[in-house]
Amino acid sequence: MISNIIPGLLMILTSFLLPTIPQYFRQPAMLLSVGLSALSLFNGYGTFLEWDVLGLNLILYQSDSLTFPFSIIFHIAAVLVIIFSWHSKNLMEHMATLAYAGSAIGALHAGDFFSLFIWWEATALTSVFIVFAGNTKAARDAAMRYLIIQVSSGVLLLIGACLLLYQTGNHNLTVLDLTTDFGIFIFIAFGIKAAFPLLNGWLQDSYPESSVTGTVALSAFTTKLAIYALARTFPGTDSLIWIGAIMTAFPVFFAVIENDLRRVLSFSLNNQLGFMVVGIGIGTELSLNGTVAHAFVHIIYKALLFMSMGAVLYRAGTTKASELGGLYKYMPFTTIFCIIGAMSISAFPLFSGFVAKSLIMSSLGGMGMVLIYFVLFFASAGVLEHSGIKIPYFAFFAHERKSKVKEAPINMLIAMGIAAFLCIGIGVFPKYLYQILPYTVEYQPYTIDHVISQLQLLVFAIIAFLFLVKFKLYPSEIKSTVLNSDWFYRKMLPGIGKPLFKKIGLLTEFIYENLRFFFRLILNKSHKFSNSSYIKVTTPSFAATILISILFIMLLIVLL
Amino acid sequence: MKKNDLTSMGKSFTKYILIIGVLLILSDFTFHRHEYFSFAEIYGFPAFFGFISFVFIVLLGKWLRKFLMRKEDYYDQ
Repeated sequence: MISNIIPGLLMILTSFLLPTIPQYFRQPAMLLSVGLSALSLFNGYGTFLEWDVLGLNLILYQSDSLTFPFSIIFHIAAVLVIIFSWHSKNLMEHMATLAYAGSAIGALHAGDFFSLFIWWEATALTSVFIVFAGNTKAARDAAMRYLIIQVSSGVLLLIGACLLLYQTGNHNLTVLDLTTDFGIFIFIAFGIKAAFPLLNGWLQDSYPESSVTGTVALSAFTTKLAIYALARTFPGTDSLIWIGAIMTAFPVFFAVIENDLRRVLSFSLNNQLGFMVVGIGIGTELSLNGTVAHAFVHIIYKALLFMSMGAVLYRAGTTKASELGGLYKYMPFTTIFCIIGAMSISAFPLFSGFVAKSLIMSSLGGMGMVLIYFVLFFASAGVLEHSGIKIPYFAFFAHERKSKVKEAPINMLIAMGIAAFLCIGIGVFPKYLYQILPYTVEYQPYTIDHVISQLQLLVFAIIAFLFLVKFKLYPSEIKSTVLNSDWFYRKMLPGIGKPLFKKIGLLTEFIYENLRFFFRLILNKSHKFSNSSYIKVTTPSFAATILISILFIMLLIVLL
Repeated sequence: MKKNDLTSMGKSFTKYILIIGVLLILSDFTFHRHEYFSFAEIYGFPAFFGFISFVFIVLLGKWLRKFLMRKEDYYDQ
C-alpha cells in the first residue's frame, strides 16, 4: 500500500498536520515522515502510479537509476535540515521546509512534464516561505523577487510542455534538444533554477537573506532538482559544456570580494553547479556519473558549510567577514566541521569532493577537451580560495575576537557531525557512492598521478594565499554590496522604467487636461445656447443637442 | 599573549605547508606523473598552475571591486 504513495507526499501531508502536533513531537514526526518516504527507495525501478486526467496520462511516480541517487541524497538532506533546526520554534519554517523537501522528492519521481511542472511550482511556493522566515525587510523583499523568478521558471516549463504536447503528442520526460521551440522553453526554465550565467541573480539574492536554518534547506533542493532535470532531458547538449564552464569560473571573482560569508557560499554553490552542468554537457556515462556523484556529495558539504555559517550567525549574530574572526576559540567543533566541509569542497584527497570531481575531470581529459579541462582546473583553485580558505579563515581565524560567544547548540553539532562524517566516509570509501550511480563504470579515483596533481594544485594555491597575505596583497574585507545579475532587474529596469512611466504619466495627464478643457468648452456653449432667451422652444436641451448633432452629421454626409 | 596564539598557529601552518609543498615538487622528480595532456607533465605544472590561478583570481577580483562594489545600502536607496 505504502509502496504506491508518491515519495515525498507523506512529508507534505505531515507538514500540514504540524500545527496540530505538540512542539516537542514536531521534529520526531518530521523525521518519521522522511523515514516513511524513504521506504520508497526499496521499491526498485519502474512506474508505480499513473493518473488519467483530462485525457492526459500523468506519470506521478516512477523511479530509475537516475532518480535513485538523487532521491537518497534528498532524503539525507531533509534529515540533516530537520536535526539542524531542532532548536527552532518557528512553526511556519518547519512546515515550509518539510513540504519543500517533500515537493523536491516528489518532483524527482515525476514521469512527465506536467507532473514535473506541478512539483516544480510546489518547490517554489513552499521554499518562498523559507526565505520569508528570514523575517527582516531585506528577506521579505528578496522573497518576493525569488517568488517571481521561480514562478516564471515554472511558467516557461508549462509553455514548453504544452508546445511539446501540441507538436509531438507526447508529454513524457524524454531527451530533448535545442532545435525545437519547446526544447528552448524547457531549457531556459531549467536554466533559471540551475542558476545559469545571468539567470543566477535570484540565488545570491535570496539564499543569504534566509534564516539560520533556512539557507541550509534552500541550498540542497531547488538547484539540484534543476541539475537532475537537465541530466534527464538534455544530456550531451554541447552548449551546456560552455555554460557550465562559465558558471565555474565567473562566480569565483565575485566570491573573492563579497563580504557576507553566506553570500560567498551562494556564489560558491553557483560555481559547483557549473561542474555538474559541464558533466551533463559532455553526456558520456562517465561524465553523467560524475554529475550525479558531484550533486550527491555537494549537497552534503554545501549543507555542512551553510550549517557552520548558520551556527556562526546564530551565536555571533552576523556572517559578515568584516565583523567576524577568532571564533575558533569559542566554537572549536563548528570550526573543525567547517574545515572538513571546506576541504571536501576543495576536493582534497580522502574527502568527498575529490572522488566526485575526478569523474568529471577524467571524462573531460579522456575526450581531449583541453580548454574546458583547464577552466575547471582553474576554477578548482577558485573553489579553494572562496570556500576552502576564505570561509574558515575569516569566520574562525583572521584575528582574535574580543567578545565571547558560545559553541553551537548540540542539535546543530550533531547535524554538522553527521555531514562531516559522510564527507570523509565517502572520500575514503568511494565505492559505496559509485555503486548507486546511474551507470556501471569502473573508476579508480586514487591513482598516484591524480592525487599528486590535485595536491600540488591545492597546496600551492594555499601557499599563494599565504604569500598574498604576507605581502598585504590580499584584499581586506569591506562592508559592501557586490553587484550581480540581479542588478538588471533591481536597479537597471527600475532606473529606466520609473522615469519612462513618469513621462508617460505626464503626457497622459497633459492630453487629458486639454481634452477636458475642450469638452467643457463645448458643454458650456451648448448650455448657454440652450438656456438663452433666443430659443424659447419646448425641446429639452439634451434632445436639442442630439438633434443638432444629427443635422450636423447629415450635413457632413451631404457635403462629402 | 592572546595575539601570539593566532600568530604562532599561522607560522607553524606556513612552515608545514611549505614543507609539504617542497615534498610535492620533489615527488615529481621521483616518478613520471601521467596526465591527460602532455604539457601538464612538466615538473611542478599543477603547482605552478595553482599558484598563478590563485594570485590571478584574487588580484582580478580586487580590481573588479572598482566596477562591482557599492555601498552596503545600495539597493535601499
